[in-house]
Amino acid sequence: MSTPFQSQIYRSLPEIERADAIVDRITKAITLGLLKVGERLPPEAALSEMFGVGGATLREALAELREQGVVETRRGRSGGTFVVTQPRHQTDTIRDWFLSTSISEIRDIGDEHAAVAAAIIRLACERAEAHDIERLHELARALVLATSPEVRAVADSRFHIELAVSAQSPRLANAEIRLQEETVQQLWTPLAIVFDPEPATAEHLELVRAVAQDQPAKAGHLVLEHIRRNIFHLIDTKLTLGYARSKQDANEPRE
Amino acid sequence: MNPENEIVQAANALTPWFNGVATEIRELSKNVAALLERSLVGKSKVNTAAMVGLDELSREFLTKNSFAVGAGTFFAADSVEEGGRPLEWWSRNSSGAIGRLKFDLTPGSDRYYDYQKLPFFSTAASTGEQTVWGPYIDYLGAEEYVLTFTAPFSLRGNFMGVAGCDIRHRDLEPLIMPHLRLIRTNAALINASDRVILGNSGMYLVGERIKSESPRQHRLALDVPHLGLSLIFTTQP
Repeated sequence: MSTPFQSQIYRSLPEIERADAIVDRITKAITLGLLKVGERLPPEAALSEMFGVGGATLREALAELREQGVVETRRGRSGGTFVVTQPRHQTDTIRDWFLSTSISEIRDIGDEHAAVAAAIIRLACERAEAHDIERLHELARALVLATSPEVRAVADSRFHIELAVSAQSPRLANAEIRLQEETVQQLWTPLAIVFDPEPATAEHLELVRAVAQDQPAKAGHLVLEHIRRNIFHLIDTKLTLGYARSKQDANEPRE
Repeated sequence: MNPENEIVQAANALTPWFNGVATEIRELSKNVAALLERSLVGKSKVNTAAMVGLDELSREFLTKNSFAVGAGTFFAADSVEEGGRPLEWWSRNSSGAIGRLKFDLTPGSDRYYDYQKLPFFSTAASTGEQTVWGPYIDYLGAEEYVLTFTAPFSLRGNFMGVAGCDIRHRDLEPLIMPHLRLIRTNAALINASDRVILGNSGMYLVGERIKSESPRQHRLALDVPHLGLSLIFTTQP
């Protein structure tokens, strides 16, 4: 038996334990550059309260993050738990994502991202100030300077989140963060085809210029092309991994 | 191999598959008509008693054809007795169990499933031939991104309704993509309304409509009667 919207109302809850959920949350935050290497996490009591979990669960999560080498706990006056490394992208998990996500779903992520990005860029043109532009410029350049897929993912998502921040809409910024969480690792992890940071950086810089000059029509066009190119890359990767024309196709990343 | 040969090869692989689906659908609608012929002796309108056994036909269809997520029968409203149930639709859930799908059939209700206006019903009704509609979001129905294949059935010359099946787009993808991937130029399978069912690259995205024909864009119709399927492909300049 089934009722309309059943799949939406009763969709399965995440099956991971709460400690795993905390590990996942912190890992994603570092991946998106929301938490930086060297940054100190809030004290354990505050973390327990914010996550709404008991001390034991929180300690389990922190132990797992220490085990992975992502954080380090130091004792003493200036002690606490610090982010020490950028977590490596989990290639197997990302490969599974490509195999289990259909092309229509990837296209649909692109549709949503295009809608959110178009609104953000329009508002950014209206609302960004000189210091926002400066910051966006810096973040755009960081992408081409990044030397690993992990750092590129951070740089890319930081740029887009900051663009949303300059648009002054917390709801759009949250939507952008969620969309970045969903796709940025898939974009930069070199599984089948290496994604080139240079054109992406050039597009980011062009976007900043259009925002700085308050050219919403041009900026809107640029951002849609930018997302379209990202989605092409994701679909291309999906096709290579899921529907290889030859064995070699699937195993060796190409430029 | 030149692109034309690859296209022909892909078409030759896709055509029998879609004809196979069409055959299964026609068979289902023939079985529905035969069942009604037996159960409706002398009467012209369907009531609940006359529908006994339709559920079994849907279940058999789904058991045999694993590509389909749902199957069943939609009746024309004027071929159903007052108070009768105008449809019988069964679907497979994510764990594989087959169950009856319920729809809101109260006209005026904000979730009213007005299936007679949906092309998988109206096209089959007006042409008297099998048809396919989709991909579309089956809003208020199965709530999935699907294609619906139907064939009409009649009783003593009167159109009674359609029988058919839903195929989720995500289930169709692995069945037809390997054939499209044999084509090395940008190519896509499109439906009768020029909507992309599936493309072999990011150039043709599922759900988009082909609105302009460039001189480098070519078409090859699949030999699948009435479904209006074609392959579209772009040659290099």
